[in-house]
Amino acid sequence: MSNATDRESVPESPNPIGMDGIEFIEFTTSKPQALGGVLERMGFRPIARHRSREVELYRQGAMNIVINSQPADIPRTVEPIERPILSAIAIRVHDADAAFRRALDLGGWEIPIRAQALELNIPGIHGVGESLIYFVDRYDEFSIFDIDFRAIPGVDPNPPAIAGLDFFGIVQYVGVNRTDDWSEFYTQVFGFKTIPDEVRFGIMPRGLLLQSPCRKFYLQLIEPDGTAQFAPMEEHLQRIGFGTPDVIGAANQLEQRGIEFLATEKVHTSARGALTKALLGGVMFELVHAEPREPRESGKAAAQP
Amino acid sequence: MIFNDFGIDIATLAGSLETRLAAARECGFTQGMISATDIVGHPTSTAAAVRAIRDSGLRVTGLEALRDFEGLSGKMHDYKVDVAKSMLELCSRIGGRLLLTEASASIHAEVDADKIARDLRKLAILALPMGIRIAFKGLSWSRTVKNFAAAADIISLANCPNLGLAIDAFDVIAAGVPLDDLDLIFPQQIFLVQLSDFMLQEIRSTEEQAATAAHFRVFPGEGAHSDQLAKFIVKLEEIGYFGDYSFDVYNGDYLQMPAEVIAKRARRAADWLGETVLRRTLPVPNMERLRPAVPE
Repeated sequence: MSNATDRESVPESPNPIGMDGIEFIEFTTSKPQALGGVLERMGFRPIARHRSREVELYRQGAMNIVINSQPADIPRTVEPIERPILSAIAIRVHDADAAFRRALDLGGWEIPIRAQALELNIPGIHGVGESLIYFVDRYDEFSIFDIDFRAIPGVDPNPPAIAGLDFFGIVQYVGVNRTDDWSEFYTQVFGFKTIPDEVRFGIMPRGLLLQSPCRKFYLQLIEPDGTAQFAPMEEHLQRIGFGTPDVIGAANQLEQRGIEFLATEKVHTSARGALTKALLGGVMFELVHAEPREPRESGKAAAQP
Repeated sequence: MIFNDFGIDIATLAGSLETRLAAARECGFTQGMISATDIVGHPTSTAAAVRAIRDSGLRVTGLEALRDFEGLSGKMHDYKVDVAKSMLELCSRIGGRLLLTEASASIHAEVDADKIARDLRKLAILALPMGIRIAFKGLSWSRTVKNFAAAADIISLANCPNLGLAIDAFDVIAAGVPLDDLDLIFPQQIFLVQLSDFMLQEIRSTEEQAATAAHFRVFPGEGAHSDQLAKFIVKLEEIGYFGDYSFDVYNGDYLQMPAEVIAKRARRAADWLGETVLRRTLPVPNMERLRPAVPE
């Protein structure tokens, strides 16, 4: 007999860890000031410094980017070199410990605890290549930045975003025939959903799109083509995509700030999107047309039962 | 003649790891299956073994073998996860893209198919970021997954793209499995096929099968079951298998003979299979290509 209140028959929630967007994205580099300069041209402002580690926080609008130049202290993580590398994503979740334990149960690789006294222990697992994925549940009334970071005196802690820029997604390069594997990883461990092939955003349409269970950002998995197929497998987070309701306006403002955009026959700025030229040996940002997000509801998204 | 499809199990040969790798290479092999014990048991260091493998010019068919992983609970499960992680790290260090995992023969393992599938799925997710595939192999002396058909059922249940099957021709022939059973398997699910023949005409008990498997195998074409082996391989090609074949020939006698002599016999077996049985003269499309040795 079917019974609507039989909890055993309830399928897994579409948002099993109560994901609620991105808290921060981390770059690692041995030249933090060079990257800081690029971020400032992109509209970010330095806001705070970590109390015990060589880590700086940059912010614009609702976006946090941290630059890490601390030597790697965990195996399989990024060692700072001159070229900045996208080294971590911190996702907001309802309960960081629960999300972390769930990920371990499903086959995630935990990273060892490295918090100093009175600092937050931010749980995390290994992601693609040498990158990490952190789980953060303190982002509402007070954030991890209020505890582990010291504000830079005299700066506005909430600088407005240029043309409404917000995190739209992250592009991940994967090896040949590895799209299914990574799609499985993000679907299984985090509850991402694959987007039908006909749904495309921006001007860089290749690969497979995955939507976060909170519907706040995307991952785009791209396999190598051409001769790159025969090279040894190289998988990493490649670039950040920023969403804006006005790509042309955003691109104009950024160009005035000294950011150059690709203008080739195939890739050039349009109302759909734009791609910056590579800086500092490979750092690129993508602009993607996106409707402005509705103002944040008060309180966190609860994990659905 | 292309030998890239056939690899030799380095544990089949006697001598130092370096000697065995060189013997395989000199006989024309381009890939070899590596035993974890040969890496961690290297007289100098694990790092030296890793370097020898990476410098050998051989592609690593896979690392063997994770055993008794699935079906455990509590601390035993946690312990096995640690073992698995260690083997995956080793596999990654030698540039391997496949970890051979044998069905549990532990009396402590649960026999519930859902639990076994869940554990293997976890193993596959652990392997996934490193680009490693899990090739799961039934064992006749396992309590639950005795053959490739049972292993295929578990893999379907687990349903993870980097989790597939290893099929050992010895098990198929020794147990008299009808070849038509292979029709039920999706070729994409088969990640590795191990080949060997054996001298005994008939195997009467599971114990005898286990003993033969561990000591009395011979190379394809050398034993009493060449015809069956040939039919098995032709059948695999018919259903569309295009992955690696590894000569997995545990034989106590071979371990008392020079590596280069045994490697030559392996080469003869590859010639027989390639030229007579499969008549392969061209590389098969979609094959994994030979990767250059990458410095660690």
